[in-house]
Amino acid sequence: MSALDSGMDDETAELLTGSLREMFRSAPPDLGAALDELGWDEVAAEDPARATTMLFVEHGRSLTTSALLDRVMLADLPVSDTRRAVLHSLDSMDVLLTDPAAVDEILVPLDTSFAVVPAGQVSDTAPLGGFGADTGWFSVDAIDAAGAPQIGDEALVRQSIAAGRRVLTAEIIGVCEAAVALAIAHTTARVQYGRAIGSFQAVRHRVAESHVAVVAAREVLAVAWETGGEWEAALAKARAGRAQAEVMRNVIQFFGAMGVSMESVVHRHVTRAGSLDLLLGSHLELAEQLGRELLAGADFLPVARI
Amino acid sequence: MTGYADDVDAYTAALDSALVETTYDPWRNTHHATAEGRIADHALLMARLFADGWSRYGWPETAGGLGGDERHRAVMYDALSAADLPVPDPHLMLETLGPPLVHFAPELAARHLPAYLCGEEWWGQGFSEPEAGSDLASLRCRARPDGENYIVNGQKIWTSHGATATRYVCLVRTGTPESRHRGLTMIMIDRDIPGVTVRPMALASGQNELAEIFFDDVVVPASRVVGEDGKGWAVAMYLLQFERAQYAWLMSGIALRELRELRERCEGRTLPDGTARRLGEVYGDVIALRARSANTVRGLAGGAAVGPEASVDKILLAAAETGVHDLARDTLGSDFSFGTSEPDQQWRNDWWYSRAATILGGSSEVQRTIIADHVLGLPSEKVS
Repeated sequence: MSALDSGMDDETAELLTGSLREMFRSAPPDLGAALDELGWDEVAAEDPARATTMLFVEHGRSLTTSALLDRVMLADLPVSDTRRAVLHSLDSMDVLLTDPAAVDEILVPLDTSFAVVPAGQVSDTAPLGGFGADTGWFSVDAIDAAGAPQIGDEALVRQSIAAGRRVLTAEIIGVCEAAVALAIAHTTARVQYGRAIGSFQAVRHRVAESHVAVVAAREVLAVAWETGGEWEAALAKARAGRAQAEVMRNVIQFFGAMGVSMESVVHRHVTRAGSLDLLLGSHLELAEQLGRELLAGADFLPVARI
Repeated sequence: MTGYADDVDAYTAALDSALVETTYDPWRNTHHATAEGRIADHALLMARLFADGWSRYGWPETAGGLGGDERHRAVMYDALSAADLPVPDPHLMLETLGPPLVHFAPELAARHLPAYLCGEEWWGQGFSEPEAGSDLASLRCRARPDGENYIVNGQKIWTSHGATATRYVCLVRTGTPESRHRGLTMIMIDRDIPGVTVRPMALASGQNELAEIFFDDVVVPASRVVGEDGKGWAVAMYLLQFERAQYAWLMSGIALRELRELRERCEGRTLPDGTARRLGEVYGDVIALRARSANTVRGLAGGAAVGPEASVDKILLAAAETGVHDLARDTLGSDFSFGTSEPDQQWRNDWWYSRAATILGGSSEVQRTIIADHVLGLPSEKVS
């Protein structure tokens, strides 16, 4: 098994990237319909790993908001004509990627199944503010899933979370790549002390480190797709989350006062990447979880092999 | 031992089963008091691996091998670590020095590589000098042509395994003093000839991991040139590909073994707050290195040149190496700093060695500059 065996050739990938960027730039109100127009299902079937990664990278790069993540997470459930959203439980609140008024059912990931809760049962919902202000996500009050009908099984839930982590990894990578590109353009153009600030070694080295962080996340994601495993998906998401912390810290610095104010759009990448990190386990939570399992005797799996 | 040259998967499976057999037990989970003792013991492991055929895959038959490519060698390094065996010290240099010899001086490879491969001897890389570390192109060790020989004068320093090496593959200046990278030649110089003086150099651990080599009118036959006169830089650049790809991969497997050992050592200890998270992060760093490095090695095996992107691998390696050993230091506390047991000493020695991860093969600063210049296209540091 080699990472070089790709179903999609580079030329097709380049064309697809272009189409995806065009699509996201046009900000379609119905992302599902826009993807259907691209013939997405057929394209993705040829090389799901590469296609799905590209889709979510461009989703991130364009700072698009949607509930596409939920669609991925629920893809293996029996087809239903009800509109569904996944409940995302964070450390101190629960979040939905869409307005509960726009869906029929909320699926709560439990240990051994999804609980299906009527959307009408949720209370105290409000659009997220703060770093989530432009995500379109909603906070919801604690949902009582006891007694709710359950679908799926443990394997399904775990695979769903793994799939969600893989695409979130790609999305975070897209946001970071956009931020690094902005940083490169800025440090090339901005002149101080008679020279481009990108010619100062301290700046060049921080940009290089940012590049390394993002490349590392891409590599772990590729392996996570290859194996399909939960362990690898957690590692990929943790790596992407850690990358965004480093990249965004650097990028704000590159922009000087412009990075801290509204002058640059860079702040939007900072908040978006940070928001995405919190879904399905932040990099801190995942590192802690992996570390505890390892201390308790879990194998130091080699993950990548020649 | 039949045809694994064309079947890396079969080689992997067979090797994994072989290395857990009792023949290899003498080297499993061993510690050594000195660098000299360690390399001598590792040479015996090399003899075993050669006799059993495993280490011969990945090298051409003309040089004592059984065919195959970089993937076989990479698989072997990993399999050794997975079986709690050391990657024999001489392999670290063999991986760097062997390929350029095979490529640029096949007759020298045919004559000398088999003895290296079976552990009878090992070599050092004579590149750095006191005034030329990162800035290798400024090196001054001179080789003056004299009939069918070169007369070599100068000094090399920080040569890994240099104190016990049989030969040195050296980058020397055959051009004018100002010729920088254009006036260099790669040449193989034996240790045991008139004019060569070797002084072991200790790391701060007290271990003689390195050496200084002095050349005083040393006569070296021109047949010992690797490549062509004046084309040494190209050989060095070719060599660096293996250093950047294979060495990083090799070290990643060792890092996993070290994490297993550290965990075992931590059993029953009260660990500092935050250890779990740090362990998760350090393990993540090793996995990031492996994911990246596996790709680079496969590319190299497929004939692709390893270019400036490999500086990413070097930086990931440095993070993984220093991460594992800093974690060890922090979790083992005063046992790490003052402990007298062999494992305690080993962790201290290895911690010092891990400091070299951000320095050897081109410092992390150099790697970042390479990325800035050749991968990201940032404005040049040189301003007119």
